[in-house]
Amino acid sequence: MAEFLTAKELAIKVSICLVLLAVVMSLCALFPRSVGTQKISWTKVFAGPGQKPGENIDYEILIGVRLPRVILAALVGAALACSGVALQAILRNPLADPYILGISSGAGLGVIIAVLSGVTWNFWGGSPMAVFAFAGSLATVWLVWYIGCFTGKSQITNLLLAGVVVNAFFSAVIMFLTSVANSQQLRTTIYWLMGNITEKDWGALLISAGCILAGIIALFALCHRLNVLALGQEEAKGLGVNVARTRIVAFACAAFVTAIAVSLSGLIGFVGLIIPHGVRLVFGPDHRQLLPLSAITGSAFLVIADTLARTVFGQEQLPVGIITAIAGGPFFLILLAKYSRKVSWLK
Amino acid sequence: MNAIIEVENLNFGYPPQNTILQGISFEVIQGRFLAIAGPNGAGKTTLLNLLCGLLRPKAGCIRIDGAPVESYSVKKLAQKVAVVRQEFVPVFDFTVAQMVSMARTPYLGTFGFEDKTDKQMVNEALEATDTSQFALRALGSLSGGERQRVFIARALAANSPVLLLDEPTSFLDLKHQVGIYDLLKTAQLEKGKTIVAVTHDINLAAQYCDEILLLGADGNYHIGETKDVLSREQIEKVFGVRTFVGSLGQEKFFIPLGKFAKDSGQIASKPHNIQHE
Repeated sequence: MAEFLTAKELAIKVSICLVLLAVVMSLCALFPRSVGTQKISWTKVFAGPGQKPGENIDYEILIGVRLPRVILAALVGAALACSGVALQAILRNPLADPYILGISSGAGLGVIIAVLSGVTWNFWGGSPMAVFAFAGSLATVWLVWYIGCFTGKSQITNLLLAGVVVNAFFSAVIMFLTSVANSQQLRTTIYWLMGNITEKDWGALLISAGCILAGIIALFALCHRLNVLALGQEEAKGLGVNVARTRIVAFACAAFVTAIAVSLSGLIGFVGLIIPHGVRLVFGPDHRQLLPLSAITGSAFLVIADTLARTVFGQEQLPVGIITAIAGGPFFLILLAKYSRKVSWLK
Repeated sequence: MNAIIEVENLNFGYPPQNTILQGISFEVIQGRFLAIAGPNGAGKTTLLNLLCGLLRPKAGCIRIDGAPVESYSVKKLAQKVAVVRQEFVPVFDFTVAQMVSMARTPYLGTFGFEDKTDKQMVNEALEATDTSQFALRALGSLSGGERQRVFIARALAANSPVLLLDEPTSFLDLKHQVGIYDLLKTAQLEKGKTIVAVTHDINLAAQYCDEILLLGADGNYHIGETKDVLSREQIEKVFGVRTFVGSLGQEKFFIPLGKFAKDSGQIASKPHNIQHE
C-alpha cells in the first residue's frame, strides 16, 4: 500500500521545525553575549520588558539590533532556499540556484549604478543600493525571460542560455564601471555584493517579511504542479498541468523573493543551491514537503552562519557569504556521502 | 455503440515539409483496443500527440467524447485521456507511489493533497499492475519493465476512459512485452478502457488489438479489424520488407525476412504445427 503525504502530517512536521527554528533564532540572538561589538547581560535583558526607553541598553540592543538581524537572516535564508527549490523544479536541473537567470549580475549592476551616480534618497527604509539592486534584479530576470521565450520553443534551454549570456554581458558592464570608479566606491560596491546581513529597522523588515511570506505561500500552492513539471513539459501537460502558466507564476514568485533577499543582504551564495539539495536527500523530492522544510532549514542555516560571521573574528565582522560557502560545502558533501550510499543500496 | 475518439479529415505537417498526415479519418468505439503501426516517420507518434492535444491539427478535427480536443482545458482533457510515453527516469528521485499519485493532479484542490478517492484510485492501480510491492522504492531503482508497469499504473489511476500509449513495449524483453499487453487487455476488458497504442510489434498487435491503423510512409493508411488489415501483401507494401505469415490455431504471426534469411526463396523449415499461408 502506498503512503501519502497528508496535510495534517505536513502541518505537524512544519510546526516541529518552526519550533526548532525559533529555538535556534533565540539562541543566536542571546548566546554570543560576550563577543561581537557589544556585551549584553542576560539578567538585564530578561528584566527589560516594562522598563522605560534609555534605562536598559542591553534590552534595547536585543530588541533593536540583534533580533531584527536574526529575523532578517531567517527571511533571506527562507527566500533563497524556496527560490532554489522552485527554479530547480522549473528548469529540471538540480544545479540551478536563485542566481542562475541573471539576478546576481542585475543586482550588481544596480548597485554599482547607485554608488556611481551618488543618489541618496531612501525608499521605504531601503538604501539607494537596495532599491537599485531590487530593480536591477527584476529587470534582468524579465529580460532573460523575454529573450528565452522570444527565441524559440524549447524554453528551458533557451532560458538557461539567455541567463548565461545576460550574466556575461552585465558582468562586462560591471567590470567597465568598476574600472572607472574610485577606490571608495569600489569598496562599497564589492563589500555590498559579498553578501552581508546588517541591522535593518523594523519597518523595512516587516514589509520585506510580508512580501517574502506571500511569495513563499504562492509557491507552496504551486508545489503539486511543480512535482509534475519536474517530469518535463509533455508529461506535465498530459497530467493536466497548464505548463506555461505554472512556469511563469512560479518563476515570477521565485524571482520576486530572490530580488527582495538580494536587496536586503546582497549576494549570499550556496544557500539556494545546497539547502534544497540537502532537504531533498533527507525528505525526498515531493515539493509539497520540500518547499516548507527548505524554507525553515534555509532560515536556520543562515541565522547560524550570520551568528558565526559576527562572532568568529571578535570585533571584525565577516561577510556572511564567506561563511555560507565555507561551511556549506563540506556540510553538503557529508550529506551527499551519507545519503548517496542509501540511494545506491536502493538501486 | 458510441465512438469516443473521432478523427475527421485530419491534416498535419511539421515545417518545412508540410504533410505528414493527410486526410485521415477514423473513429474508435468505446472499449476497443486500437493499434497504430507503420514505418518510422509515418507519423504514428505525431498522431498520438494530436490525439492528446499536445499538437494542434493544421486542418480537420479530432473529437474526444463528442467535443473537439481544443475545446477542453488542459485539466479536463487529462481527466478524459491518460498518456503513457516511453518509460524514463525522472531527474528527481520520486518513489513509485508519488509517481502514480501524480495521475490525480487534475483532481486535486489548491494545495494539492490527495483525498480518500484519490488514495483509493492509486492503491487500486498499484494492485492492478502488481507494483504495490515497489510503492516506496525510488522509480530509478526499478528495471525498465517494472518502470513501464508503474507508468501504466499511473495512467489507470487517472481513471480516464481513454488510454494512449507510445510504444509501450520497446526496450522490453519478450516476457515483459507480453506482460504489459496482458495488463492493457485486462484494463480494456475489466474496466472498459478505450486503448490506443502505437507499436512496432505487428505480432502483439495481431494478438491483442481489436483494430489496427496501418500508416504508410506515402501518406496512405488502412484501418479495420486486425485480422482483416494484417495480411502479407499489406505488410510487405507498408513496411517494404518480405514477410512470412504463419498461423497457429486462430493466431496469425508475421516474420520479416531480410537479405540473409536462409529460405532461398522458400520457407526453409516447416514445423508440423505451423502452416505457411
